[in-house]
Formats: sequence, structure tokens, C-alpha cells
Amino acid sequence: MLTPGPLPVRVFLVVAAVAGLALVAGTADRRPLNVHTGYAPEQPIPYSHRLHAGELSIDCLYCHFGARTSRHAGIPPTGLCMNCHAQVTSSLDALLAERGIAEAEDREPERVVSAPIQALYDALALDADGQPTGAEPRSIPWVRVHALPDFVAFDHSVHVARGVACQSCHGPVQSMERVRQETDLGMGWCVDCHRRSPRDPAALAPPGGARLDPPHHVTTDCVACHY
Amino acid sequence: MTTPEFPHPVDPARGVDRRAFLRLAGFGLGAAGVTACSRGPAQTALAHLTPREGEVPGVPTWIASTTWADGSGSGVLVRCLDGRPVKLEGNPEHPVNRGGLTASAQASVLGVYDDRRLVEARLAGEPADPDAVDGYVRARCAEIAATGGPVRVLTGTLTGPSTRAWIERFLGGFEDGRHVMYDALSSSALLDAQEATRGVRALPRVDLEAARVLAVFDADPLGTDVSTAGLSAQYAAGRRPDGPDARMSRHWQFEARLSLSGSRADRRVRTAPWELRPALARLAVELAARTGRMLPAEVTDAPAALRPALAEALERLADELAAHGRDTLVVCGANDRDAQLVAAWINAALDNHGRTWRLDAPSQQRLGDDAAVERLRQELVAGEVDLLVTAGCDPAYDLPGFREALAAAGTHVRLAPRTDESSDDAHVLMPEPHELECWDDGEPFVGVLCTSQPTLPPLREARTLRECLARWSGDRRTDRELLRDHWREAFDARRPAAGEPFEVWFDGVLERGFTELPPASSTHAFAEEPARAALLRIARAPSTAPADGALRLVLHPTVGLLDGRGAHNPWLQELPDPVTKTTWGNHAALAPADAARLGLTDGDVVRLSAADASTPAPLELPVLVQPGQQPGVVAVALGHGVRGTDRFTDVGPDWLEGRPTVEPGETVGADAGAWRAFVDGAWALDARDVSLVPTGGRRELACTQDHHELAVPEHLAPPRGKVRDAVRLLPFVAAAADRAAPGAAPGGHAAGGAAHGAVAGHAAVDLWSEDHPAPRRWGLAVDLAACTGCSACVVGCQAENNVPVVGRDEVRRHREMSWLRIDRYYADVGDGDVDVVHQPVMCQHCGHAPCETVCPVLATMHSSEGLNTQVYNRCVGTRYCANNCPYKTRRFNWFEYGAEDRLQNMVLNPEVTIRSRGVMEKCSLCVQRIQRGKAEARRRGEPLADGDVRTACQQSCPTQAIVFGDLADPESEVSRRAAAGRSYELLAELNVQPGVRYLADVRNREGAHG
Repeated sequence: MLTPGPLPVRVFLVVAAVAGLALVAGTADRRPLNVHTGYAPEQPIPYSHRLHAGELSIDCLYCHFGARTSRHAGIPPTGLCMNCHAQVTSSLDALLAERGIAEAEDREPERVVSAPIQALYDALALDADGQPTGAEPRSIPWVRVHALPDFVAFDHSVHVARGVACQSCHGPVQSMERVRQETDLGMGWCVDCHRRSPRDPAALAPPGGARLDPPHHVTTDCVACHY
Repeated sequence: MTTPEFPHPVDPARGVDRRAFLRLAGFGLGAAGVTACSRGPAQTALAHLTPREGEVPGVPTWIASTTWADGSGSGVLVRCLDGRPVKLEGNPEHPVNRGGLTASAQASVLGVYDDRRLVEARLAGEPADPDAVDGYVRARCAEIAATGGPVRVLTGTLTGPSTRAWIERFLGGFEDGRHVMYDALSSSALLDAQEATRGVRALPRVDLEAARVLAVFDADPLGTDVSTAGLSAQYAAGRRPDGPDARMSRHWQFEARLSLSGSRADRRVRTAPWELRPALARLAVELAARTGRMLPAEVTDAPAALRPALAEALERLADELAAHGRDTLVVCGANDRDAQLVAAWINAALDNHGRTWRLDAPSQQRLGDDAAVERLRQELVAGEVDLLVTAGCDPAYDLPGFREALAAAGTHVRLAPRTDESSDDAHVLMPEPHELECWDDGEPFVGVLCTSQPTLPPLREARTLRECLARWSGDRRTDRELLRDHWREAFDARRPAAGEPFEVWFDGVLERGFTELPPASSTHAFAEEPARAALLRIARAPSTAPADGALRLVLHPTVGLLDGRGAHNPWLQELPDPVTKTTWGNHAALAPADAARLGLTDGDVVRLSAADASTPAPLELPVLVQPGQQPGVVAVALGHGVRGTDRFTDVGPDWLEGRPTVEPGETVGADAGAWRAFVDGAWALDARDVSLVPTGGRRELACTQDHHELAVPEHLAPPRGKVRDAVRLLPFVAAAADRAAPGAAPGGHAAGGAAHGAVAGHAAVDLWSEDHPAPRRWGLAVDLAACTGCSACVVGCQAENNVPVVGRDEVRRHREMSWLRIDRYYADVGDGDVDVVHQPVMCQHCGHAPCETVCPVLATMHSSEGLNTQVYNRCVGTRYCANNCPYKTRRFNWFEYGAEDRLQNMVLNPEVTIRSRGVMEKCSLCVQRIQRGKAEARRRGEPLADGDVRTACQQSCPTQAIVFGDLADPESEVSRRAAAGRSYELLAELNVQPGVRYLADVRNREGAHG
């Protein structure tokens, strides 16, 4: 049983509670409890966005094709990797090294499969030569980085259709070795962008990042995302 | 002197002192902060292994299929999300239903996720390997084929050409094989009458749109007859009160109980079951006099005595029918051969064959033969059937005497979706797949071939009848191959596009869901003699009115459960009946006069029993006093008391005062099916007399009739203010005058477009100033003249918006969650008759919404497009908004409804948030569809056009009574309707500027009295 004690204690408790709330409210802008920004979990396969999206300049929408038509950008189907990785089995360095060794040893170069690619083959139940092993294929358990709560309906396709760059929300993924959440993806952050973006991009040039008047910016209706 | 060692001793009895409290509080706050600082558990995301062509997660796939859930063979488009079906919508191109879909068909998607479904084959009651079952059946078949024993296949109406071919083929292997079909809601007498008079045993395909005068005798084409979605569409198309081409059919309804069709009739004439035959005979006599046809003198000279009101009505009807000649239709729904023969004679006298109905491409939606199934029952009882295969039916529940008959079958092989009444003594039990899980075909109208495609693989070992019969005949092709190969054999030569390869054509049919083959032309001359004989029989027969003190029992299906096939579906159990507004269980409906005479009120339990000892066990049911019902009649709904419905015991929240929806071991409602009577070769639903005795008990009905009513409580109402102008009923004559001078509707006011008018006598007080101009104003127009009250929109909304089922007890407490209710208004027109108006009421999306002014946390607020939005995350559950809502359309989550059944939750629409406990919710105007429509328009790079977005209620409406659109756009369909003279706002005197406009109901009444 908790008994609050004499009157001064009770008064103090109330004052403290109010003050605490005021403190939390006052620092809300700094989002002291934000734990999402910078989240970069380790993935089952060390897939490098820096290599694929940056160095090789593969379009984001090639793998995340859902963003064109769907709410979800989606994790690409494992089979999609095989469009390239049926042929590309290792880094060029490793291939050249193997060729060098093979020449030195005077034999045919062997097929080099790097560890991450082998993990991909394992998931698809393929052996190092790309032939089915007969085992049951298993989807790779990627760890989700960007996860909005269920009560938010975010539609990738609308933003892609409007020409919003993927990097606007996801940060410079093309330079990330391991993907990390760059922004907090909180509601204030969403609304801020909506307030700065003109409703009709042709008619109204963005005035230097300043906030626009309500009729001129894109919707900030609650039901734009919450329904 | 000693001082205490501890000046402030810690007294354990005092509990926690200030210091400890602060320490604990500080720790608690810190702990809360620390936990809030950690992310939830890491989520893994599993992608598809191989990309499936055309499938993108989050983008719905639409699959064309066919549903027989309401017996109609309606075309559906199944919305599949991430590999599972979540919603059925009518296929707008389909000739059966033209885009609408009945409540029962829409709800059938829930059946896919039914955890009581049979998943494994059973042999002699024990789970068995399907191959072992196949082996057993084949061995048994071989034995019977060798001995020449009789084999019977018993099904419900089965129109699929491929399945029927396989039944033929299977039975062809035996010396004495026969396929028997029956319908629990039988049209056998109508089929018999057609065979006797027109030479073809087929259901006429009617065209209600062409009928200028429609006389319905004891049928319910808008409510529970087969194919109601299509019939309602035709009916509404024949009743257009607006525009230059305004026309309205005249709908006469003769019936004992108040059916949904009766509630929409222009003139409803109460007719007791024992008056039906004499009334039809009288109509025939009257028409004979007007059309110069001859009838036997015995029939014309001494007409049976009829009540003056009925006789007068028949005379006027005869005048109208004769005046409109071929543009007329007489429909009789009674399963009574003589009545059907007379109705056939009347239609022949009116010469309307080929105009309002046809037989060249007849309907096959009911093919059942009552006499054949009764013969089968006798054979079974006599032990003369060696092998009985039953599929797609539950005869032990549907028909009296079949439980014993099935037990006497030599071997009973049964395909069933779940264990039921008929599966008790089945030697072999095979799980039957849901129709969304299998390949199938059907032919609802001759020449209209429909296909069904699986939207997900069958549950475990489920197999269709076709595949089972093929296996038992030694054919191991897959179900799709069986279907395709049959189509190649049967239709390749007949198909229209003969140029393209068969496979291409067949795939095209599957994609579209149906194809039409040209019907064979045929003439069906009318043979008068059977009808004349029927008229003579009727003239000679004594009256069958019940004896003094007895009541005639009238059994009838309900819009949701039909014959009981919807009984395992909680959506349908909780769907308020359109007329009585009761949920969860049936009742004994009595006319007000009878109830007053017996001193009974709603909820008094009565026992219905018959003097005759051979009759079934007495029924105990609560009374419902039903205005508009014929005295001397007690009406009881079929489709209740289905075994296994005690599964709904746990539906609804578990709390201190909660009462179970159904007591464990009992059923929802009582089964009245055993009270059918086999009369003249057909199962009659209204042939038994009962005596009614109050038991003294009470059972409160879960009736939504007085929930959320718009009336002001008496103690709060201003003088004469209690009656509010909620629904309007105009006579067609007045509506015609209104067309000449728009905006001058009697009793109405012009409230079109964005203009809002204050009602005379009310000061224009506004809650808000006009300071938020909106580029769009989403709204609805609801045409009460088109609304039949069929409740398809209610189920459509439920499926789309994840509206939970709350259970019987919560419904009793006014806590049903449906976002869209249909208010039913009675107007007493004297002499025990009532006018009925159905009014769908959803959130009115007020421009100046009273709910928004009172929410302390801004959880309900206005969107820039005129929507009144509810933000669930902000809502703290004060319920001020619901109190301040004049339309009572807000629903509060008192509990975490419907969170338990995880399998059933697979049907949830992932685009709509699941609301948790303590949160207010209401109609959102399907904002998820608006957002999807806008997103699609943006992807296409086009502006959103009128009609791009259709709400779930609009989409499901068979009569297109509901139109959604932008009220700010004067060109939109909704604005056009809102500007019509019949348009009005609900409770316009409040000046809350609702975004929903109603169009007054219109009835085509003779004379000026309307």
C-alpha cells in the first residue's frame, strides 16, 4: 500500500509531476527518447548498399520495385539477386587473384564463390555451381530497419511518383555499407516536409525551404496517413 | 533520561513513507524512461524466394470468380492481398448480378478462415489417409457395380457442366444410378408448373425492369429469393422517379408476413396463406373477364368468398394488369403446385412471355425436385440404396425425416465443409473446399457459363466432388485439368471466337469469370389444361383456414442466413434483419392484433406445438410483434438452430456482467425446418397449424430497432418537436409535379450542391464560421427510392473496414459496432398496415460537425477535403463526440472486440487500422479507398476523376442507391443527385451541413392520396 503522506508531500508530488510533464513537453523537439535514428542492425548476409547502389549505381527501384506501385517498397525476392549473381559470384579482386594463382599453378581457374554469395545460394538451396541441392529453399531472415507503426499508412508509390528521392527519407544509402536509419521517421519530421512541399510543383516554386501557407502545401490532413 | 535511538522510527505498519515513496517513484519513472528508450524486438522480414509475376506485396490482385453462397451464381471479383482473399465485390459485367452482391455472398469470404472446417478425410468416423479412403470407395463401388445395386448422388442445385458430366459418368458405371437435386428453399412447384404448362422444367428468367405492373404473391425477389442482387438491379432500373424519362413500375405485393419486398411495395395487400390460392383464382377470373378468355363455369360463377379488402385489391390489380397488357408480370413464390399453375395461367392470359420473362435461356439457379428427393428418402428408409453420395447440401438439417434416412443408407459417402447433421452416420467423410479455393464452373442461366478460380490452395485434403468422382473412377488428373478438358469437349465446337486456340479462349473466360454462348431458340406453347384443372381444384376445395385458436405457421428464410448456410458466419448472425432488426437468433413474429389478444409482448417466450402427434417437437421462441403481419399467422425464420453454432458462446467480451451469445451446448436460435410439410409433391413452408402457449419465460431479443434513434427524448423535446423529419416518402405523382418545378418538392426543400438552407422556422445558427474553404467536399447521396434495405452495404462496410462482431449480449446493450446501419421506419396507415422506409445512416460528415467542437484532444477533426476524420491515436475515449452526434453514428470500443480468433483475423483488410479498446470509431467514407484512388491517379499522372473512388457501400449496392463523390464539383454524379428536387439533409434544422444527402423515397400509388 502506498500512502501519500502529509499534505506538503502531496503538494510536492503534484508540483513535481506538473514540472516533469512541462520538462518533457519543452524538450519534445529534441526527441530525447528517439531510439530509431541510427539503428543499423547486423544483417544475416553483409549486403552492401554502398557497393550496389553507390559503386555499381544500380537503381534503387530495380530491387525495391514495389515502391513504384505499392505502399511497400518491399524487400526484394531472393530470386531477384540471381539475375546478377547467377554469374557474379565474387569480387573482381578475388577472381583475378584466383586467375593469378591458377596461371602460376598452370591449371584452369576454379569458380570462386564469396561467403556472402554462398549464403545466398544456401538460401535458395543451390550449390556453388548454381545447381539445386535438393534441400528446401529458405527465405533470408533480413532484419527490418525502417519500420513504421501499424497505425501509419505510408505509401511509397505516391512519393516516388511525385519525384521524392529515396534519399530524402532514407539518407545516403548509396554510401552505407550497412543500412542505418538516417532520420527518425516521426510524425513531426513527416509533417515538416509536407509543410515545405508545394501542393502543385509546376505552379509554385519551393520558396527556399520555408513553410508554406496551408492551402499551398501538400496535405497535412490526419487521414493522409492515419485511417 | 534516555532518548530514542531512532527519532523517526520506521513503522512497518505505516506502509511506505515519503522517502520510500519518492525513491520508488523515481525508480519507476527512470525505469519507464529506460524501457521507452529501447526499441521493440527486432523484426525480421521474409521476402518471396522467387518473384511472382505481376504480384507486388501490398498491391491487391483481383481474381474473377463466381459465388454460389446465396445460390445465385453471381460473378465476383475477389480482392486478394498478399496471397489471401479479403473481400468479395460484384463483377459489374456479370449478367447475373450486374455488379451488386448480396449480404450473404459478401460475407462468404469469412468462411475461408473458419477454424471449424473439416481438414482431414474420415473413414468410419476416424481420420484416414485420403488414398485409403479412395481405395475403400473404389472397392465398394466395384462390389455394387457387380451386384447391380442402386447408387444415388444427392446434391443441392448443381449447375456446373463439368461436375454434372462427372456425376453422369460416375453413375454410368452402375446399373441403377440416379442424381437427385433438392433446394432447401425450394422452387419445385414452380418448376413442376412450368413443365406441365410449357413443357420445360425450368425457372423462368424474369426481367423486372420491363414489367410496368409487377404483382408478387408470397415471393421475396428483393430479399431472399434466388438472385436477389440481379433482381434488385432490374427492379430499381424499372423505377426511376427523376429525369425526363421518369417511369415507375407499380409493385403489388400479396403476402402474410412483412417481407423485404413487401416493405418496398407500392401497394401491399395482406393475404393469409389459406387465401393465396383463392386470391390467385379470383385474379384469374377477373382477368378472364377482361381479356376475353374462357374459364370453366364452375370457376367463374361461384367465386370463393374473399375478404372485401383483398377482393377489391384484386379487382384493381386486374384492371391495371389488363391495361398494361404484355408489360406485366405475376410472380408467385409459394411452393404450391396449384398456385403456380394459376399464376402461369395468368401470365399466359397477359401474354407476357418473351417480354417480362423468358424460357429460351432459363435460369438454373434452382433445379431441385421435391418429389424426387422424397422418393429418395423412402428408398433410403426402405434400405434400398447401396451407395449414397451427398455433397453441397445438408439434408438432415434441411428436410424432415432425412436423419433416419441417411442412417439407413448402405454406404454413405459425404463431402462436407464441416461436420454437420448429415455427417453423423456417414461412412466416408471428405472435406469439401470453400468455393474460393477451387476450380469450378456453373451455368446460372442456360448459356451463361461461369468459372471459379482458386484464390488460395484448398485446405489440407479438401477436394471437390468432381475430383473425388474422377479419383473414384480411376482418373488422376488435377481438378483444373478435369475442368479444362471438359470445357474442351463440351464447348470447343460451340464457342463464338472459333479462330483463337482453345487454351487462349479458355484463359480469357477464366480471366473474365464468365462467357455467354448463344441460346438455342425454342418456343414454349402454353398448355392450358393443367391450369384449368388447378382452378377447378381450388374452386372445389374447402377453405384451409386454421381452426379457432390455432395459428398458421409461416416459415421463411432471412436475408442473412437464408436456409441456414450462413449460420456459421458471425457477420451474418449479427446482421440485423432488414425488417425486424433482430440479430443472433430467431423469434415467433405475431401480428399486433394477435399479440394483444394473447397478451404477449416482445420477448415473451411461447411454445408452438401441434395437436397432431406426428408433428415435430414443439418450438420455444421469443415473440416479436410485427406490424403489417396478417393476423392468424405466426412467422418463424428458417436457418437457425444449426448444430455447432454454440461455437459462438465466446463471441463478445469476457467481463463480469457479460452473458454468452449462446449457452454452451445450445444453438443460436431454434430450428424450425422440421415444420415443413410435404403437400402435393412439394415441401410447403406454410401448411402447418400450431397452437401457441406462453411459457411464462422471457428472452430479450437482440434487436437494434431502437438503438441510435434520432428521436429526441420526450422530456427534452420542445412541444411537437419529438417527431423529426428523418425520412420522406413522396407519391410518384407528386414527384412528377416536382420534376416540372425543381426545388419545390412537397415537404422538401432545395438543398443542392454546396448551398445549405436553413429550414423554415429555425434560426440559421452555425457552429463554425466559413473560414476553411475546401477544394473538395467528399460526400454521399443516398436514394431512398432505390434502397431496398437489403443490407449488402452493411456487410460490405464490415468487410472493408474491419468492423468487429460483438456478440448477442453487447448488441442488447446497444454496442453493435457497425459503421453503417439501416434505419427502418414504420408509418401506420391504418387497418394494421404499415408503410416502411429503409434509410442507411452512416457518419454524415458534417461540414460544421458537433462532434468536433467537444473533443478535448482534437481526435476528431476536419480534413481539408470535407471529411470528418477520427484519429484513433489521439482518442482518449471521453465519448463526448458520440453524445454530441445528432445522428448517433459513432461507435465506441468498450472492449478489445474480436482479437482472439487469429485465423478469422486473416480476413482483415490490412489497409484499415484495427481499433483498440477505449477508442471511438465511425464511418470514414472509406478514406483508404480515397487515398488509394488518389495514389493511383497520381501514378497515372491524371487528375482524380468522378467515379474513380467508390466506397464499399456504394460498390456493394445492387440498386446503386448510394453514390460517392465530390459535392464541390457541380459536374459530379453526387452533386447532380444532391441537386435533385427530392434531395434533403437529415435533420436539416440543426444546420450542421452534412455531407450526406438523402433523396426522398417515392412510391407509385394510385390516386392522389399516395
